[in-house]
Amino acid sequence: MEGYIVSLIIFTAIFALFGLGLNLQWGFTGLINFGHVAFMTLGAYTTVLLSLRGVPLVIAALIGAAAAALLGLLMGLTTLRLRTDYLAIVTVGIAEMIRLVAENEQWLTQGTFGIQRFPLPLANFSPNLPVRVVMILVLLGAIALGYWQLGKTLRQRMQGIPARALRQSALAALAYLVALAASLSIVSVVARQIKLTNALPAWALGLGLLLAGVAIILGFMKLAKLGATRFEQWEKGLSWVSAIAVALFGLWLTGFAVQALYDYDRNPSKTGLMWLSVLLVAVAYWALERLVRSPWGRVLKAIREDEEVAKALGKNVFGYKLQALMLGGLIAGLAGALYAWQLTVVFPVQFDPLITFNAWTIVVLGGAGSNAGTLLGATIFWGYDTLTRFGLREIIPLEDSALGAFRVMVIGLILMVLMAWRPQGILGKKEELTLGR
Amino acid sequence: MGAIAPTAIPSTQPLLKAHSLSKSFGGIKAVDRAEIEVHPGSITGLIGPNGAGKTTLFNLLSNFLRPDSGRVMFNGAAIEHLQPHEIAQRGLVRTFQVARVLSKLSVMENMLLAAQNQSGEKFWNVWLNPQRTLQQERQQRELASEILTSVGLFHMAQSYAGSLSGGQRKLLEIARAMMVQPQLVLLDEPAAGVNPTLINQIGDHIRRWNQSGVTFLIIEHNMDVVMSLCDRVWVLAEGRNLASGKPSEVQQNPLVLEAYLGQ
Repeated sequence: MEGYIVSLIIFTAIFALFGLGLNLQWGFTGLINFGHVAFMTLGAYTTVLLSLRGVPLVIAALIGAAAAALLGLLMGLTTLRLRTDYLAIVTVGIAEMIRLVAENEQWLTQGTFGIQRFPLPLANFSPNLPVRVVMILVLLGAIALGYWQLGKTLRQRMQGIPARALRQSALAALAYLVALAASLSIVSVVARQIKLTNALPAWALGLGLLLAGVAIILGFMKLAKLGATRFEQWEKGLSWVSAIAVALFGLWLTGFAVQALYDYDRNPSKTGLMWLSVLLVAVAYWALERLVRSPWGRVLKAIREDEEVAKALGKNVFGYKLQALMLGGLIAGLAGALYAWQLTVVFPVQFDPLITFNAWTIVVLGGAGSNAGTLLGATIFWGYDTLTRFGLREIIPLEDSALGAFRVMVIGLILMVLMAWRPQGILGKKEELTLGR
Repeated sequence: MGAIAPTAIPSTQPLLKAHSLSKSFGGIKAVDRAEIEVHPGSITGLIGPNGAGKTTLFNLLSNFLRPDSGRVMFNGAAIEHLQPHEIAQRGLVRTFQVARVLSKLSVMENMLLAAQNQSGEKFWNVWLNPQRTLQQERQQRELASEILTSVGLFHMAQSYAGSLSGGQRKLLEIARAMMVQPQLVLLDEPAAGVNPTLINQIGDHIRRWNQSGVTFLIIEHNMDVVMSLCDRVWVLAEGRNLASGKPSEVQQNPLVLEAYLGQ
């Protein structure tokens, strides 16, 4: 359990970092990048290959990130003069190209066989108690920073809303979410019983589950509409309550992280990697927040909205787009190094287009153009992943591969519901979507 | 406000001069060997019937479109090979026919965006030079507040620009162009779709900025505005120069009357 949660934290951190890169490119600059995984692939392979040749890990990872940034430059130079939808297509192509190179250039990457037994960071590190305490404090500091930011974002969204409306909508939203969770649990408990007793054939159970799922979704969407007419801050209430639920989940995870750091020697490489990834996310988050609030970030937002205006006001739009692609690529490249260390083997298959799709899910879920939203999105995504990975097997009589596909389907469904209910994502600003020209 | 006064240039030399500019779209010659001169300190008008190529000429002057042939001289230097943003950086700013405010940014952010030479627009300065960035932001904010106050938009500074009315958007777009501290502003129909009271206000602002040293080139269909504001008017019809001169002269010109009214 503890080992799994450490892994969960690492994955969450890696994808938060990865998503932050995409959020800079798409959320803030409006560049549609459907090949984000290319940066991760390049970062991962470069880091691993260099470290196998004796380059120190830190330098290898930095070179990996720099290579990813360079890929951003190349992508930009060749495609940014094209319109955004063409850019989207070309990015898909580049990502596939990189993956195919990794698959076929066996002299370098060992192809589908994959690279194994490469050095891992902090693997032979055995800190004494004071060092561990310092590590725990640093981790807690980073996490506290995250919570402080989340609180700040929530407070900003609450500004100017009367306390009574706030309380009512939050309470109603809480009841709503609890009822939703309860209905889903009841359905799964019933399904589990049926599965255990073999009372129904698989197809009937599957169909029943599907129908129950659709009924629950439709029913709760209807309820949400009703709530929207009853409570003036209904949507915001829902966002707040879900954000707070995720935050509590995060606190629960933090407990395990502290425990793991305290027992560092039990699993040194994973614990060290966890510490490193959380720290990197915190640093990247802090740096990005400063960037997007600076005049530089203002130009990016202007480009996202209307690049002709930015040009007319003397901004070198092409240059800024390149910078956004490169910085986003750099962050994703770093995430790639962490990804390789977490998996301890790198295969080309691990870098298929689904990874890009996951990053998009995270950014859209949390709210495009909100870094705090991306962190939240990553937590929700991996929370969902864990829940369904262990939960679904118990209640649905399907093979593992079919279950995997089913889980992705449900993510698609959730995204669709989200788009209908709150297109700006959980922490996005509604005005940024609804205000026309 | 601290616009750059064009005193450095002798008044005989035009600030902006286009020579034999042409642009075709397929077989249609949108602009055909057009000439235009804008003298420093003037308010110059550009008129012509619908489809005469006025906006295309604007796009050529600001290089949002590349001319097929011809020269554009600004401040004595050729600019037709420059990128649009480089032209803006040299002090030639354009607005758009349909006001293009950045509706998802606040009014103040729209203004601040337009300031030139901001050290904070280089991302490394966010860490390497935060003090200078902050100080510049403060200065720009003051200047922006001043301009917004003068056009009566200051009370909206923190609102999203998308919440402005059509007329206010026009005002914001012109105010934003002034934030660049330009030498020459190309205004594309500043009075289109604006109520008469606001038209007068916009005219007053233009005159005031002109007196502080900013030169204007204005496309406008509203003849009252053209006649009251402009020192000199250029007439374009079917992409060609038809006439130019003082507004009163141009108004009497039979060629111009014919182009506007038909035979």
